[in-house]
Amino acid sequence: MTETEKSVVLEADKLTKRYEDGVLALDEVSFAINSSEIFAMLGANGAGKTTTINLFLNFIEPTSGEARVSGIVTHKEPLLAKEKIAYVSENVMLYQNFSAIQNLDYFAKLGGKKEYSRDDYRDVLLRVGLQEEAHNKRLKGFSKGMRQKCGIAIAILKDAPAILLDEPTSGLDPKAGYEFSRLLDKLRSEGKSILMSTHDIFRAREIADTVGIMNQGKLVMQADKDELSDKDLEQLYMKYMAGYMEDAA
Amino acid sequence: MFKLILYKELREIIGSTKFAVTFGICSILIILAFFSGIKNYQTGMEEYEASKAAALRQYEKETEWTKVNSLQIFLTPEPLMSLIMGISNDLGRTSYVNGRNKPEIYDSNYSQQPVFAVFRYLDLEFVFQVVLSLFAILFAFDAINGEKERGTLRLSFVNSIPRATYILGKITGSFLALALPLLIPILIGILLLPLMGIVLSADEWIRLTFFIVCGLLYLGVFLTLSVFVSGLTQRSSSSFLFLLVIWVFSVLIVPRASVIIAGNMIEVPSKEEISIKVMKLQQQQSIESEQKLKELYRNYFQALSKNSDPEASAREEKKLQESLEKMLTERTKKREDFSSRLKEERRNIQSGQEKLAFGISRISPTAVFSLASTTLSGTSLELRDHYQKTAEAFSSSFADFYFEKTGFNIGNPLKIMLAMNKKEKSITLIDTSEIPEFVYQAPELSFILKDALPDTAILILFNFIFFAGAFVSFMRYDLR
Repeated sequence: MTETEKSVVLEADKLTKRYEDGVLALDEVSFAINSSEIFAMLGANGAGKTTTINLFLNFIEPTSGEARVSGIVTHKEPLLAKEKIAYVSENVMLYQNFSAIQNLDYFAKLGGKKEYSRDDYRDVLLRVGLQEEAHNKRLKGFSKGMRQKCGIAIAILKDAPAILLDEPTSGLDPKAGYEFSRLLDKLRSEGKSILMSTHDIFRAREIADTVGIMNQGKLVMQADKDELSDKDLEQLYMKYMAGYMEDAA
Repeated sequence: MFKLILYKELREIIGSTKFAVTFGICSILIILAFFSGIKNYQTGMEEYEASKAAALRQYEKETEWTKVNSLQIFLTPEPLMSLIMGISNDLGRTSYVNGRNKPEIYDSNYSQQPVFAVFRYLDLEFVFQVVLSLFAILFAFDAINGEKERGTLRLSFVNSIPRATYILGKITGSFLALALPLLIPILIGILLLPLMGIVLSADEWIRLTFFIVCGLLYLGVFLTLSVFVSGLTQRSSSSFLFLLVIWVFSVLIVPRASVIIAGNMIEVPSKEEISIKVMKLQQQQSIESEQKLKELYRNYFQALSKNSDPEASAREEKKLQESLEKMLTERTKKREDFSSRLKEERRNIQSGQEKLAFGISRISPTAVFSLASTTLSGTSLELRDHYQKTAEAFSSSFADFYFEKTGFNIGNPLKIMLAMNKKEKSITLIDTSEIPEFVYQAPELSFILKDALPDTAILILFNFIFFAGAFVSFMRYDLR
C-alpha cells in the first residue's frame, strides 16, 4: 500500500466525555489514524486512554464530538461501526470451558465470519504463536500470554480495518512482547489501522507510527515516528507526567 | 446470531464441571423421589387393603344388620399422592361413618411415624422446590456480571450484536441447558412407574405432565430472576448473595410467615371451644328435659290412675313412648344443628384464614409452585375438603343402606336399641360383602386443572416479570 492509497480509518474529532458525576474524562481529543498505521496512546491511569477506546466501541456515548470508524460515527450507527472494529483487551479471559478453537469459532461467527474452517483457526493460532497442542485444550489452564494470543487471533479472524488494543502487552514476558510487536508489524503491513493504549513507552516507540501522550483527558502531545527519533520519548513522557503531577499538587 | 448465542450458552453450561456435579445430584434426587414415592404408594396400598379387610372382619360374625351401625373408611392411596405428598401425610387416613355425624379424619401418617414429621419426606415437590431453584441460581447468578468480570461481555459487544438478541439467546440457552438435561431423570422416574407396577390413569398422566410443566416454569422463574439480579449488579459475588437472600425468603420465610400473619389476623375457634359450647347446650337441654320428663310422666301416671283399662294403659304407654321419642329426636336434632352450625362457622373462618395465608404466600414463587403442584397431585387442602365431602356423601348412602337392611333410620337410637334388644334373633350371618365400599376418588380432571390454573398463571407471570426485568436491566447495562 502506497502513501497515496492510505485513508483515515480511525478518527477522533473533538471527542469529549463528561460523566454524570461531573468528571471530565476526555476533553476535545482529536486524532486520525490512517490504514497501515499504528497509533500508540501513552498516559497514566485515568488519563483517558480506555475512555477513548470505549467511545470507539460505543460502550459509552460522547458528550460532544465524534468517534468515527471508516467514516461511520460510532454512536450514531454503532452496529455498522462495530463491523469495522476488532478489539483486544488488557486481560483476555474468553470462555474457560471452551478450547482455543471453540472460542475462536464462537467469536468469529459472532463477528459475522461463518466461512472459517478448523484449519483456518489452526493457522491463525499458529500465526499468533500458540502451539498446536494447546489448540484443543480448554482455556482454564492457559497462561495470560496464551490467552492474549487467542484474543489477538480473534481480532485477526474478524478481519476488520481497525484494531483497538487496550494495554495489550501488560503482563507479557519479553519474548511474548517481542512476538506481539512482530505481529502488529505484520498487521500494519496488511493495511490495518491500529489504536493501541499502553504504558510501555519503549514498545510504543519501537512499533508505533504516531505516539500520543494523554494527560487528564487531553491529548497533550502527538508526534510522528520520524519526529520521535530526534526526541527522547521517555523524557517527553516524564515531562508531561511531571506537569500533571505539578497540576495535581 | 440468536442461535449462535443459544448454542454457546448450552455448550458452556453443559460442558462445565459445575453442571456435571449439580446435574448428577439433581438426577439422583429426582430418581430417588420417584423410587421412594412408588415404594410409599405400594406400602400404603398394602396397609390400605389390610385395614379395609380388618374393618369388615369385625362384622363377619354378626347376625343382625342393626349392629352394623358404624363403618371405618380409609383414604385410598393414589400414586400422585406418594410422588407429591402435600398434606397427605398430615391428613388422617381413616374416619368412622355412622350415617348421622359428620365424619372426622384420624390417624395421619405422621402420627404413625413421627420421625418423618421431623424431617419430612423426599418427594418430587421438595426436589423441585429446593434443589431446582438453587440449581437455577447457581448457573445464572453471574449470567451478565460474570461475563463482564471475565471480559467476554466486552469482547462479544465489540461485534455488531443487538443487545436484545444477546439477552434472548442467553436466557433461552440457559433455560434449555438446565431444563433439557433435567427431563432425562424425570423421564427415567416416569419409566419406573410402569416398571414397578404402577398404573396411572389418563387423568393422572395429564396431571403429572402439568406438574412437570409447572416445575419447568418454576425453574424459569429463578433463572430469569437470577439473570435480572445479575443485570442489576456489577459484581457476581453481590448478585449471588442477593439471590441467596431472595431464595431464603421465597423458600423458607414467606410461606411460613404468611401462615403466621393470617393466623394472627383471623382467629379460628378451636374444636375444643366448639365441644364446650355443645356440651353447655347439652347441659341446658338436660335441665329443660328434666322438667318436660316430669310433666310427661305426671300426665302418664294421672291418665293411668284415671283409667285402669289395659287397652287404655297401652295407649297411654304408646303415647308416652312417642312423646319421649319426639323429645329425644328434637333434642338431638337441636344439638346437632347447633354443633353443625358452629362447625360450619369454624370451617368458613378457617377457609378465610387459609385464603389469606395463601394470598400472602403467593408473593413467593416457591409457595405458588407448591400450591400448584399439590393441587395437581390432589394433595392440597382440597384433599381434606374433598375427602370430607366424599365421606359425608358416603355416610349418607350408608344411612340409606342401613335403613334398607333394618327398616330403621340410623339416626333413631331408641328404635335401634329396641330392635337390638328384641328377643327373636336371626341365626344367619350377615353378608359383609353387601356393605357398601368407600373408595376415595380425586376430583375430576377439569376441576383440578381449573383449580391449578391461577397458580400456573402466576408462575407464568413471575417468568414474564423477571424476564422483562432481565431484558430491561441488560438493555441499560454498562458494558464497560
